[in-house]
Amino acid sequence: MINNRTNYTIQESPHFEIFSEDQKEQIFNGMMRTLQYTGANVHHEGAREVFKKAGCKIDGIRVYFPPEVILKALSTVPPVTEVFPWDGDESKKIVVEKKRSYFGPGPTPPNFIDTETLERRPYLRKDASLVARVCDALPNMGYVQSLGSISDVTNGLADVYEFADMVRNTTTPIMSWSFTREGCRDIHRMGIAMAGGEEAFRARPNYIFYGEPISPLVSDFHAIDKCIYCAENRIPQVYSPCAIGGGTVPATHAGQLVVALSESMVGVIAAQLINPGTCVIIGGVQSILDMRFSIYSYGAPELSLLSAALTEVVHYCGLPMYSTSGCTDTKKMDVQSAMEASLSINAAMMSGANFVHDNGYTESGLTGDIFQTVMDDEIISMARVVERGVEVNEETMAVEQINNVGPGGHYLYEDHTMKWFRSHWMPSLMDRNSYESWEEQGRKTMKDRVLEKTRDLINNYEGPRDKVPGKADEEIKRILQEAEERIKKEEPKKQA
Amino acid sequence: MSMDLSKISEKLISGDVEGLKQMTEETLQTDVNPGDILNQGLLPGMDTVGQRWKDGDMFMPEVLRCAKAMSGAMDILRPQLAEGDLGNAGTMIIGTVAGDLHDIGKDLAAMMFEGAGYQVINIGIDQPNENFVKAVKEHKPSLLGMSALLTTTMPRMGEVINSLKESGIRDQVAVIIGGAPVTEEFAEEIGADLYAPNAGSAVDIAKEHFEKKST
Ligand code: B12
Repeated sequence: MINNRTNYTIQESPHFEIFSEDQKEQIFNGMMRTLQYTGANVHHEGAREVFKKAGCKIDGIRVYFPPEVILKALSTVPPVTEVFPWDGDESKKIVVEKKRSYFGPGPTPPNFIDTETLERRPYLRKDASLVARVCDALPNMGYVQSLGSISDVTNGLADVYEFADMVRNTTTPIMSWSFTREGCRDIHRMGIAMAGGEEAFRARPNYIFYGEPISPLVSDFHAIDKCIYCAENRIPQVYSPCAIGGGTVPATHAGQLVVALSESMVGVIAAQLINPGTCVIIGGVQSILDMRFSIYSYGAPELSLLSAALTEVVHYCGLPMYSTSGCTDTKKMDVQSAMEASLSINAAMMSGANFVHDNGYTESGLTGDIFQTVMDDEIISMARVVERGVEVNEETMAVEQINNVGPGGHYLYEDHTMKWFRSHWMPSLMDRNSYESWEEQGRKTMKDRVLEKTRDLINNYEGPRDKVPGKADEEIKRILQEAEERIKKEEPKKQA
Repeated sequence: MSMDLSKISEKLISGDVEGLKQMTEETLQTDVNPGDILNQGLLPGMDTVGQRWKDGDMFMPEVLRCAKAMSGAMDILRPQLAEGDLGNAGTMIIGTVAGDLHDIGKDLAAMMFEGAGYQVINIGIDQPNENFVKAVKEHKPSLLGMSALLTTTMPRMGEVINSLKESGIRDQVAVIIGGAPVTEEFAEEIGADLYAPNAGSAVDIAKEHFEKKST
């Protein structure tokens, strides 16, 4: 059919916006004013040198960023970056660009909900491969983090062991973290081993690195040191704070956005000065300090609002956004966590954030709960349906079919129905049974179904462990050994 | 002349930092006993604040404002107080341990102790073990507070306690620890005297400890 429509606007997916262009510009300018007049502390001489050469004013550890330095940095950020699964599976490729969202778990809580006992306990090494394997199987986890920091390996090597175990148990790209540059380098060597060489990694980076400035307006030595390392090696990286509304940043949302944007921008500028065109993702956890219980709230509706608002401003800067959802203040997966996660996942989805982390965080970020991640996976798939919107064309309007069936008929026999009904969303956890079947099948609650599905994956889903090339496997083992030796050498230094 | 010291309590509860300082100074000019200003004015005020906070009638920033007012008044009052007036609210050293940069929780705890009448010396974040020991030697505090937010830095707290022992000053100071991943069991394990799950309860827990000790 000839398309004879003229001057026709297409808008299929829902339009969700918090700010007008003017407001985004205002927040952006607030960041420019803050970095110019307040500046930020950078505890790293080398980084300060780089800033100084670029035209920043330095006063002790304080760095003041003139607008032209900020604008220049923003002019070299890449509009798009690709991250590849190590086995070449194109369906798991990540394209970091505006309006594409990838959801995943979060990094480093000290505790984990034991998948057998359902009790909280310290996070163990075995949990890292479990989380990787389960996430590998979940269709809506677009990237993977560990949901914990390993407590049962040599002190100071939780970061390296985590990556070593996870990368061999999932092909979904990992977002890693480390204590220092040394850990960062070990992880990078493993990334290279999995890619099949340094050149191969540059062409097809297979993981993303995550680091954090300190709110308010501080980049500590290790944070900026790792940021520089990633820039030098073209490792796509996140540089984003945990801004605590009313604590580390103003209690007003606009003020929070200004500070959060400013502290991240320090990493963006450093990275672009060191290696123009390298990928830096900013954003972070944006929520409020609960002034009654003095906890950083991961279930607050403000988290949804602030994250979506920051997404708009970050995209306005031309940068990708690291957002937050699927997390809760309750202690483990329950009704409260489902409510909080539904709201935050939907808001993050609508906002178009690029990476959305913390799906599976309970107890305000102190515990990782893989059951919550599995439930979040279902919520994410529901939110995607809303986000996909409504396609409008001759075929989908089906005016002809409507005419065929006419008043009073039904559509069950229609070819058109046969062709299209499968596009309806199918639940994997939601109950739509009749009362009788529900009763017959044991009156299962959502919690029962989540436990069942998760444990089934744990027990029966193999993951890609067997596909890991022997050479890479050997190399990873060697890197772990060398890391042990490195720590032994570092320890006495620390004591001295 | 007798003075209505409840006015002092009210000023404190309203969180009027400058107003309370002025009122404390004015009251000191009268013949009111400095100890009474503390025990019948300031401390009952802070008790009310604490109670209202627990009841959910007052919130963190309001409580901290009152604590600041208390601390300002104490700076004026402290030199005038007689030995014993202060009870156990002496000096406190507080800091975040080496390798750890988290400071909000530690600062909240510090402010709450100031509010309880302590002279708080906040030595900051990322403090090497020896700085805690040095501070204890130098200031002879009744209480040493340590904060750690990372499981990897928690062991530093035990090391500091061991260093205090080695220096022979462990018995001079009560050690209280806190921070999100820290637990009661961990406190016991490393031989800390006290653990508090949050800044609000910390002051009560310390108070109880000292009361038990003095009886
Ligand atoms: C904000 C935050 C940060 C900010 C800190 C900013 C700042 N100015 O302080 C930044 C972004 C810098 C940060 C950095 C890191 N963080 Co952090 N952070 C947090 C977060 C989200 C909130 C902490 C907070 O401020 N809470 C609010 C305050 C009010 O609560 P609080 O600190 O617990 O204090 C209360 C009580 O604990 C108690 N208390 C605290 N101290 C004391 C002391 C005494 C004496 C007493 C009596 C009581 C007491 O009273 C307070 C008030 O009630 C926590 C998650 C969480 N839920 O705790 C992670 C968390 C602690 N961080 C974590 C990690 C891993 C890191 C990093 C290593 C990340 C990285 N890869 O770079 C770095 C480490 C940097 C370093 N070397 O320290 C992990 C720790 C995991 C683990 N295994 O230990 C956590 C749990 C997050 C997570 N889920 O992964 N972090």
